[in-house]
Amino acid sequence: MSTLHVLSHSPFGDDRLSSCLRVIGANDALLLSGDAVYALQPGTAPFNTLNTRALNLFVLAEDVQARSIETPDWAKAIDYPAFVDLSIHHDKVNSWL
Amino acid sequence: MKFAIALFSAAHAPSSRRALLFAQAALAGGHEIVRLFFYQDGVYNASASVVTPQDELDVPKQWRAFVSEHQLDGVVCIAAALRRGVLNEEEAGRYQRDAVAVGAPWELSGLGQLHDAVQDADRLICFGGA
Amino acid sequence: MPKSLLIISRQAPWSGPNAREALDIVLAGGAFDLPIGLLFLDDGVFQLAAKQDAKALQQKDLSANLQALPMFGVDELFVCADSAAERGLDPNSLPLEEARTLTAPEITALIDRYDQVITL
Repeated sequence: MSTLHVLSHSPFGDDRLSSCLRVIGANDALLLSGDAVYALQPGTAPFNTLNTRALNLFVLAEDVQARSIETPDWAKAIDYPAFVDLSIHHDKVNSWL
Repeated sequence: MKFAIALFSAAHAPSSRRALLFAQAALAGGHEIVRLFFYQDGVYNASASVVTPQDELDVPKQWRAFVSEHQLDGVVCIAAALRRGVLNEEEAGRYQRDAVAVGAPWELSGLGQLHDAVQDADRLICFGGA
Repeated sequence: MPKSLLIISRQAPWSGPNAREALDIVLAGGAFDLPIGLLFLDDGVFQLAAKQDAKALQQKDLSANLQALPMFGVDELFVCADSAAERGLDPNSLPLEEARTLTAPEITALIDRYDQVITL
């Protein structure tokens, strides 16, 4: 069983990312969308945390593009059709509203 | 695959646009949407009273067109809608309010419809927050 | 076999309608005899704190509704141990006795166990 976790809040001043990382499973995936993509801002604590965890990490392409954030090679930028596919590949979706 | 899509944020929230784009991609990918369920601030996406500035994306209008074109089941949680002043004609009459903010293709109904959709669908995906 | 649904409630009792509207989803599910679980995570554990006085804020007291959950057929209630400890709450002395305290790995397994999840 695996879950696709979806985050959409900035990790700065919000505890959704840290709470998610506490409960995310080994087979789960994490999609960063909206302001959550700021977690990929280099030189930050969230960036370093995500870099060191062995996660199946995805990011919504339009959001990194809008913010001129580079997708590191340990993450994959996806579009909406791929987002749909990802939600099917995993058994359920847990959006951290 | 059958999707139930629940939206919890207002029309101007980026997550509401993401929900719309996801829904469009799901249909384009040959999947089915068993229901769209608007809860909490999501009810505002169904409001006909929302006036979007000309130079901005009109999300309520896009939702309306999407639901109508594909004849989808678009349900707005009645309790959440009442609390937020998104009333249809029936509720406006019942509570003696002047403004009717929601009509076809949207239907006001209870949380049972969300549970029903969860039971029917293969995947539930929620959008909201930010 | 009906699909099971886990509601993860992360907000404090009166931070807007979130706690109330999360509970409404749970109660509706219970009323339809569906398998519903409720996990209190992060600030959601504050909903279980003792001696709350909602009247002071002219708000609804949700604790009576929480106590009534088993009567609605919802007895799968959980509290995150870490969230409680971080917030100065002893998970073993929270008024909602039916709520089981879970560690982070147990929460991972809990989410896995349910067919669907809503985190709000």
